[in-house]
Amino acid sequence: MAELRQIAFYGKGGIGKSTTSQNTLASMAHYFDKNIMIVGCDPKADSTRLILHEKAQSTILQLAAEMGTVEDLELEDAMKPGAGIFTPDSPGGWINCTESGGPEPGVGCAGRGVITAINFLEEEGAYEEEGLDFVSYDVLGDVVCGGFAMPIREGKAQEIYIVMSGEMMAMYAANNISKGILKYANTGGVRLAGLICNARMTDFEYDLAKNLAEDLGTQMIHFVPRNNIVQHAEIRRMTVVEYSPFSDQAIEYKELARKIINNDMKIIPTPLEMDDLEALIMKFGLEEEADEENIGKAAEA
Amino acid sequence: MFILGFHFPADMGNNIPDEKVVEKLEAANIDASDINEVKMTMESHGQVEELSYTNKDTFMFKALAHYIKTSETDYMIYTNRYQIAELSKRIDASDDETMELCKKFDSMAHFKITAA
Repeated sequence: MAELRQIAFYGKGGIGKSTTSQNTLASMAHYFDKNIMIVGCDPKADSTRLILHEKAQSTILQLAAEMGTVEDLELEDAMKPGAGIFTPDSPGGWINCTESGGPEPGVGCAGRGVITAINFLEEEGAYEEEGLDFVSYDVLGDVVCGGFAMPIREGKAQEIYIVMSGEMMAMYAANNISKGILKYANTGGVRLAGLICNARMTDFEYDLAKNLAEDLGTQMIHFVPRNNIVQHAEIRRMTVVEYSPFSDQAIEYKELARKIINNDMKIIPTPLEMDDLEALIMKFGLEEEADEENIGKAAEA
Repeated sequence: MFILGFHFPADMGNNIPDEKVVEKLEAANIDASDINEVKMTMESHGQVEELSYTNKDTFMFKALAHYIKTSETDYMIYTNRYQIAELSKRIDASDDETMELCKKFDSMAHFKITAA
């Protein structure tokens, strides 16, 4: 039996982590027969909707609140098998789905949901499911909050894929997440396994992502182009893999899935200083070096 | 590390020498003798351009022929296309026509590729 691999998708909020992760995991299951458990670590609980064809799955925190305590919760209440081609009895691999959930906005610690969920899943034996190949964590934003660093901190996720783009803030977040990985690399054994560029189709985006990856000591494992078919599939709450398995975009996700399955490059990252990150962006002409006298001046007509 | 779809073991690091990629391409031993011309359709914002490429002695041609012979469809995966252009700019630098194609490959356009 192959060793269980625990991977995680991190990245700036709104970068397309959940879409990228679900489409990639769907490809790993459908095209390469991998069995997967998704642990959604985002209070908005959107890490599994395309696999389940649902608006939002009931989260572990919600269910625990309804039951009274998490001790009263059963695994089958909190973990749902994927719909369509991802059910255990359909050909190819299967996907099981869980969502940690979080508190109401403005109240409490969102990272606590992640901690509660992972502890619950471990105690209930979710990680020992027969035939399970991958556990995948889909984690909110960057790692400013220690709770969201939990999959890294506790050594749960061993391979981190950072979803980013060629935009400044996405690159900043990627660098920040690398700092978080570096902090826990020696104690927890977590490693950076690559950047996934979920393209915004901005100028020199490939070059920016590739050079950032090289500076961090890793690889830009795949450049995912923007394609409206992703949104069309999302309207039907489906992955592209299921919505249109022979489409160009499905081929992109299939290739990314193949690379993740065969990836052996797991490194301790070398994060950049802020000046170096800005220099990288200036190198590719996205940001002109500003003269002091021009700071605060509007563009010329 | 993955370049042109080939896997390079992690102990080779994240900066693979061009000659190692060329070695992999040659070791793949794809018979492309029946390909004399590579035809491509480049589409961007509704503008379509048909391209023809016949410079058989270049790295570019070998990489495209390999792609045609090994891919499932005529769609060109963006990562592979960018990587082909990146290597070709160094290996085929003296070939102006190839450099023009590299510029087109660097764009955000969508490419379809077939053999003729």
